[in-house]
Amino acid sequence: MAIFVTGRIFGMLSLLAIMGAVTYYIRRARGGKVSEVRRLAGIDAITEAIGRAVEMGRPVFCSHGISDMRDATYGPQTIAGLSVLSYVATQCVDLGARLIVPVRNTEVWPVATDIVETAYKIAGRSDEFNIDDVVYLSSDQFGYSSNYLGMMMREKPGANIMVGAYWAESLQLAETGNRVGAMQVSGTANTHQLAFFVVATDYCLIGEEIFAAGAYVTEDPVFISSIAGQDFGRIIAVGLMILGTILFTFGSDAFVRLLEW
Amino acid sequence: MSETLRRIEIPIAITIICTLLQIVPFYIEVEPLEAFSDTFRSWMILVATCALFLGAASLSLLHSKRIQRRSTGWQFSVLTLVSMVVILLAGLPLPEIGLGVDNPVFDFLFANILTPLGATMYSIIAFFITSAAYRSFRARSTEATIVLVSGILMICYNSPLMTSLWPGFIPVGDWIFSVPNMATMRAVIIGSALGAIALAMRVLLGIERGYLRGGEE
Repeated sequence: MAIFVTGRIFGMLSLLAIMGAVTYYIRRARGGKVSEVRRLAGIDAITEAIGRAVEMGRPVFCSHGISDMRDATYGPQTIAGLSVLSYVATQCVDLGARLIVPVRNTEVWPVATDIVETAYKIAGRSDEFNIDDVVYLSSDQFGYSSNYLGMMMREKPGANIMVGAYWAESLQLAETGNRVGAMQVSGTANTHQLAFFVVATDYCLIGEEIFAAGAYVTEDPVFISSIAGQDFGRIIAVGLMILGTILFTFGSDAFVRLLEW
Repeated sequence: MSETLRRIEIPIAITIICTLLQIVPFYIEVEPLEAFSDTFRSWMILVATCALFLGAASLSLLHSKRIQRRSTGWQFSVLTLVSMVVILLAGLPLPEIGLGVDNPVFDFLFANILTPLGATMYSIIAFFITSAAYRSFRARSTEATIVLVSGILMICYNSPLMTSLWPGFIPVGDWIFSVPNMATMRAVIIGSALGAIALAMRVLLGIERGYLRGGEE
């Protein structure tokens, strides 16, 4: 007989509620009721950045962070970064920009290669795809960043798009991009690196915005409505915070016991 | 046959099965499922490790081409390939013939080249912080002014000389760190977690396909 793991039941119920809300909004959109989502300046700026790079005759750099796709905490950021890469690749092929993708993780490299190659295939320009432009640099964090910096200094990109999980290399990359005159769009959910991206790049996607990016760029109402489902989770979070504060203030440990259920 | 294997439904189905195999045993105690999940995780590590060969092959091909074409800086490609081969051979897990992590060549390369290079790259962040601060600490707008003032106060808070001149920097710094900063960080963390759940749902339902060949069939 199945037994629920003690201490995780409340978490499971919360997860199911949020998942249910996301599914509801997706079904609702399929029924024709589309939710409205605010514009994300950072995503809207990607096309502008690529266009600028084309006008300048410079390449576009697009990276998806240094995490793998399996990590429970950081993996989703890589997936979000790859969704942005997919959009950037399509735009680069359409506008005729050379796209360079620096990769840190060996297991992500074939995925990134496939995404870029598919963008060329869809445009009927498979012969223009250069596998050497999706380049595996190093599994070592600073080996990767030093390679990335060197490539930026040599290639002088017109646009540098970085969306994914970044750590100490974030400021190195952003500052070097700024030094070579690239228009930069960044995004991460790593709170300790957000400040660096905010001050050093032109546009920054903060936290949850990077997860919405993949859905946002498709302009598909079903995708976009799934973002609205998150708001239900936000309401639950705010409600629980208020409830917890009130109960704890009045000396009740009921909320703590609920979390430990 | 190859067209069938390239259908996008296959990776989506694999993603769904793998995700459920990880999620279900986390919340529900089912002995056989837990054992299967453990074995599955070990296989996942093995498969991911195999991808290292892909990386090595990609790197070798790229640098070999550069050497063949005598591209600009091809000498560095020679250095990269030689370094890769030497550290790979020295680090092979064959202690019977003196190779592995205790091998003196491997140890020398790791301790005297790789580690100092990593430390150098890490330490240059200080210069990047300085240049970023110089550009961003300008009171061009109300928000920028708040960043500027907060930054100055935090610098004073972290400076022993300033706190000894005026101990008031300590409670001010503590307040900035534990109230507005903490509140913002928590909001970002909660938002990110919700965003990750929504992304997971889209992946599970097979509608988020951007990471799979750009979402094409």
